[in-house]
Amino acid sequence: MRILVVAERKETELRRVSLELAAIAKGLGESEIVEMAGERYSPLPFVAALAKKVEAEKPDLVLLGATLNGRDLGARLAARVGRAYAADVTELRADGSGLAVTKPMYAGKVRAKLRVPLPAVVSVRPGAIPLKEGAPAPQVAKLEADASAEELTFVKFAATASGGKRVSLAEARVIVSGGRGLKGPENWHLVEKLADALGAAVGASRAVTDAGWRPNEEQVGQTGKTVTPDLYIALGISGAIQHLAGMTSSKVIVAVNKDPDADIFKIADYGVVADVFEFVPAFTEAIKKARSS
Amino acid sequence: MKILIPLKQVPDSTVRVKVGADGKSIATEGITWSISPYDEYAIEMALERKDAEPSTVVAVVTVGPARSRDALRQALAMGCDEASLVTADETAPPLVVARALARIVSDAKPDLVLCGKQASDDDQGFVGPALADVLGWPHVSMLTKVVPTEGAVELWREVEGGHEVWKAPLPALGTVHKSEKEPRYPSLPGIMKAKKKEIPERDLAALGVDPSAPKLEVLSMEPPPSRGGGKIVKDGDAKQVAEQLALLLRDEAKVL
Ligand SMILES: Cc1cc2nc3c(=O)[nH]c(=O)nc-3n(C[C@H](O)[C@H](O)[C@H](O)COP(=O)(O)OP(=O)(O)OC[C@H]3O[C@@H](n4cnc5c(N)ncnc54)[C@H](O)[C@@H]3O)c2cc1C
Ligand SMILES: Nc1ncnc2c1ncn2[C@@H]1O[C@H](COP(=O)(O)O)[C@@H](O)[C@H]1O
Repeated sequence: MRILVVAERKETELRRVSLELAAIAKGLGESEIVEMAGERYSPLPFVAALAKKVEAEKPDLVLLGATLNGRDLGARLAARVGRAYAADVTELRADGSGLAVTKPMYAGKVRAKLRVPLPAVVSVRPGAIPLKEGAPAPQVAKLEADASAEELTFVKFAATASGGKRVSLAEARVIVSGGRGLKGPENWHLVEKLADALGAAVGASRAVTDAGWRPNEEQVGQTGKTVTPDLYIALGISGAIQHLAGMTSSKVIVAVNKDPDADIFKIADYGVVADVFEFVPAFTEAIKKARSS
Repeated sequence: MKILIPLKQVPDSTVRVKVGADGKSIATEGITWSISPYDEYAIEMALERKDAEPSTVVAVVTVGPARSRDALRQALAMGCDEASLVTADETAPPLVVARALARIVSDAKPDLVLCGKQASDDDQGFVGPALADVLGWPHVSMLTKVVPTEGAVELWREVEGGHEVWKAPLPALGTVHKSEKEPRYPSLPGIMKAKKKEIPERDLAALGVDPSAPKLEVLSMEPPPSRGGGKIVKDGDAKQVAEQLALLLRDEAKVL
């Protein structure tokens, strides 16, 4: 099988998912890895350049990361070249003349195994496969975006007040999320200090993002982000079905809630029935101690 | 300005989705169907434009089985002006859906098409960008805000750490991540008005849509791995419980 991998960079580093894609591609056949050169992601210039390459070289499979931009680019590229498209797959392997993939459906409430006919475009969820540490960096060629295809004008970037410096939710290995049980945005230092002690990203329930306590982009769940970290810590979150849809595939789930009957305990690996205001500071100290000894 | 929203009817977000007897589709018996959540946001976003500028016309369309008519009716009750149904099998491939929607767009001539970022059944996020491509229109994904300007729109796209703001010439397409307010509930007068509205219906053949397109085949479905049987850590005061939990995470779960 011939595979074209579209890699993505965050600032100066290749994204981890791009390394994962390179490893997956290597296991499937002969691969080429390209990175789009252009000032910033925009669908038309990126698709124009990629479609030209795909039509000329006819790789059996185009692989992208199921990131914000990767999913968007993959969808429009697949439409342009008339190929099958599977988004956000968590497993894939060759299956006769096609691919067998696993992907979430019904807002993550179902895992489906699908057969994808080749040629195809597939976006793969970050963290889908474990990476061997110290594997050599893949060879990445640059592909110039076709600026002549642009119809949009970039106006500006409006930064979220609290955004920027933290680990991104989608790729985080550890996430600490806060819910309405935190009572207000002024208490988020509790969530943040615990996250800092763990090197974690910060998430939230929709009750919290709707109330404007935290920015939208931190929302986890059916209408927020779907996350699959090694460790998910839910603080003062009740465990509504729409929240669970976004985090139930995490490896280990910890819940802290003062209500022993909260639904979140039904899916937690470790539960603590406690007041977050009392427990979280003690837990932050305990984490620091456990990590340093 | 005219805004068209292609919407999909999916199991309501409160439904505990179960795999059906065939092992490759969901059990639909007795479930509640609703407008897919991101499509509801798209409708709300359009209706907020209409609140600000009453001459705005908001239309909805869906490609799907007969039951989808209820979703259109609900959109009308929320305050949309027009609705139309394209009857098709649920399993129509996404590129066929996009082509059918493109036909509707050529008839309705909206300035702006707003799709959901992804439908809460296939979780794909394919049809929006695909429709833009069939139409040859520019698109911007992950919208949280639309601001009309002279002959164009400013589209706010949620990204890591903030928003990118793009200006698109009209006509253009966006996929919606969230509206500024929560989707509104249908009002009683809205429901009465919606009942009287006609919902024209056509099928794929009548639209002259080419039905051939690559298709994903479902081999099997399963619920996510079941969880439970977790431990409640409770011996001692907050400090002692915190220390036990930290050690369990480090030594038993090995996630620190
Ligand atoms: C279409 C749709 C889509 C949705 N999408 C999402 C989504 O993507 N993500 C999402 O999260 N929700 C989503 N929701 C909303 C969801 O149904 C819930 O309303 C929401 O998850 C509740 O958030 P919460 O758990 O923070 O708040 P609550 O349900 O109010 O729970 C607060 C919890 O905190 C506990 N608590 C209170 N005080 C303390 C304390 N001092 N110490 C410890 N515990 C305390 C309480 O016991 C309670 O369990 C969606 C809903 C709909 C209809
Ligand atoms: N059958 C359909 N009829 C109308 N609109 C659709 C249909 N399928 C998808 N869409 C639109 O495309 C978006 C993305 O859907 P999907 O590609 O299925 O995730 C949805 O949120 C809708 O706005």
